[in-house]
Amino acid sequence: MESRILRPTLAIYTACFLLFLYGPMIVLAILSFQSIDGGPQFPIRDWSIYWYEHLLGLAETSRVSQLPVGESLIRSIVLAFMTTVVATVLGVMSAEAFRTKFKGSGPAFYLIILGMMVPGVLVGLGMALLSNTLDLGRAWWGTSFVLHVVYTYPFAFLVMLAIFNRFDRTVEEASLSLGVSPAQTFRRVTFPIIFPGVLSAMLFSFTLSYDEFARTLFTAGRDLTLPLAIYGTFSVEIYPNLFAFGVLTTLFSFTLLVIYGLLMKRFTSKASRYKGQEDA
Amino acid sequence: MSALSTDTHSATTHSPAELREKKDRRRAISLLTPGLLWMFFFMVLPMAMVIYVSFWTQTTFSVNSTLTTASWKHFLSSATYLSAIWTTLRIWLIVLIATVVVGYPVALFIGLFVRNKTLQTALLVACVIPFWTSFLIRVIAWRPMLGTEGAINVILMKLGIISEPLTFLLFSEFSVLVGMTQIYCVFMVGPITFMLGRIDISVIEAARDLGASFGTIFRRIILPLSLPGVIVGAIFVSVMVLGEFATAASLSGRKVNLLGNIIVSQVGSLKWAFAAVAGVVLTIIITAVIALALRLVDLRKEM
Repeated sequence: MESRILRPTLAIYTACFLLFLYGPMIVLAILSFQSIDGGPQFPIRDWSIYWYEHLLGLAETSRVSQLPVGESLIRSIVLAFMTTVVATVLGVMSAEAFRTKFKGSGPAFYLIILGMMVPGVLVGLGMALLSNTLDLGRAWWGTSFVLHVVYTYPFAFLVMLAIFNRFDRTVEEASLSLGVSPAQTFRRVTFPIIFPGVLSAMLFSFTLSYDEFARTLFTAGRDLTLPLAIYGTFSVEIYPNLFAFGVLTTLFSFTLLVIYGLLMKRFTSKASRYKGQEDA
Repeated sequence: MSALSTDTHSATTHSPAELREKKDRRRAISLLTPGLLWMFFFMVLPMAMVIYVSFWTQTTFSVNSTLTTASWKHFLSSATYLSAIWTTLRIWLIVLIATVVVGYPVALFIGLFVRNKTLQTALLVACVIPFWTSFLIRVIAWRPMLGTEGAINVILMKLGIISEPLTFLLFSEFSVLVGMTQIYCVFMVGPITFMLGRIDISVIEAARDLGASFGTIFRRIILPLSLPGVIVGAIFVSVMVLGEFATAASLSGRKVNLLGNIIVSQVGSLKWAFAAVAGVVLTIIITAVIALALRLVDLRKEM
């Protein structure tokens, strides 16, 4: 009887919460269509796509300097890609190791998890100090890259651990006892089962690395990654071109998400087809 | 399986089970080594370096490795730094409480009141989607929202609720708190929803059949069972808020200085030793918080 009042109240509350989550982004998206003489606030003087043109370097004259996105975008994507490959490989290997109980698994588990717990500003500082002391140069593809892996590898590890926990080991053992080599077993039996997990681990690693800022700040050296370039514009006055950038980068992430969803769907539908054959 | 292995243990020293265990262990170690080495060289070693450098000698433009406690004395006697510790703790506590208060009812709704799996997933996805926007963009999005000519002031003035724009909304501690609560709330909603979703609904029905009011059911069943979720969420939120600096830097107009901001500004002026001291202090605070939380819940068991 109380749920008759409670349920609608909570539903309305949740709707308000979603508005709270999305509100700022909606306002930002609206303001990105501000006209050339408008500032980064209301009112909208006139609707235009001027700031998008400005962002892409298509606007001719401007009092505002262009956002330094071009090269930094490429750097960020390359860095995220490198991080994804290494973090996923390490994550799969470690999770595979944790399928058997062994002594010292507790400390090892916490050491890996620590990577996602340690604040970026701290490891960033430590890495900068270390490279100063060892007289190594700091670069996004070196010092930043290793820290990005430290951060994303635990996520990949946890995702894979969850997958392996639900994975029937006897399937593998059956393959091995039928004389299939371990390498073949991994390729033909293990990998197809864990593939959705691998895909999720890769998605996690890529998006986390692509957006990572604190770990990059002290370690990137002279060449900036995308988040650093964005952060640099905060200290000066902001213009709607930053909002236009926010909209575009969100669309880019959604594209990534859709690709992931399609791959996942294709894969799971294939898997369920096999299952259907078994049942029949 | 564990009963089986203990049986064979006592029999001979080289039983097949034991050989297999040995082989498994070797395999596990070789699979783990690359990851653990990576963590050692690129996480443990840098952290040790922070502690080490905090005892170095800081001169105006450089540091040298002569050991001293001067940086520590400087830090602990400076009002600016001590107030940064206090600010960090205050902001952390307020944001932590705010994320629980704001997030718990949402988790309650999604995890317990929505029984349709598709709708449940859809709502969770809706909570996670903002994460596919860049963190810095999400932070800066609060500026056009809270500014004097921002959305909230415009709406309130149109409605005639206020005649002058509210100035405390942006570039204040308030904007930092609002921004952080919005950004980190989902890390609270997720774990609590997960724990609530695991509650066997028949337990609640049994309690209701026995005449318990919703208040009693909530206090005696729902709250205790969801508490591990709250703790896990609190760990996530704490770790992230304590290490924050970007939100404070871009929304507070330099009015809020967290330990993270101190580190960034000290590195900016090449005061590496001072930055390291602030880093060690931050590490101590975070370690204390996590240790406290882990005392309350076994992280490995709950995953």
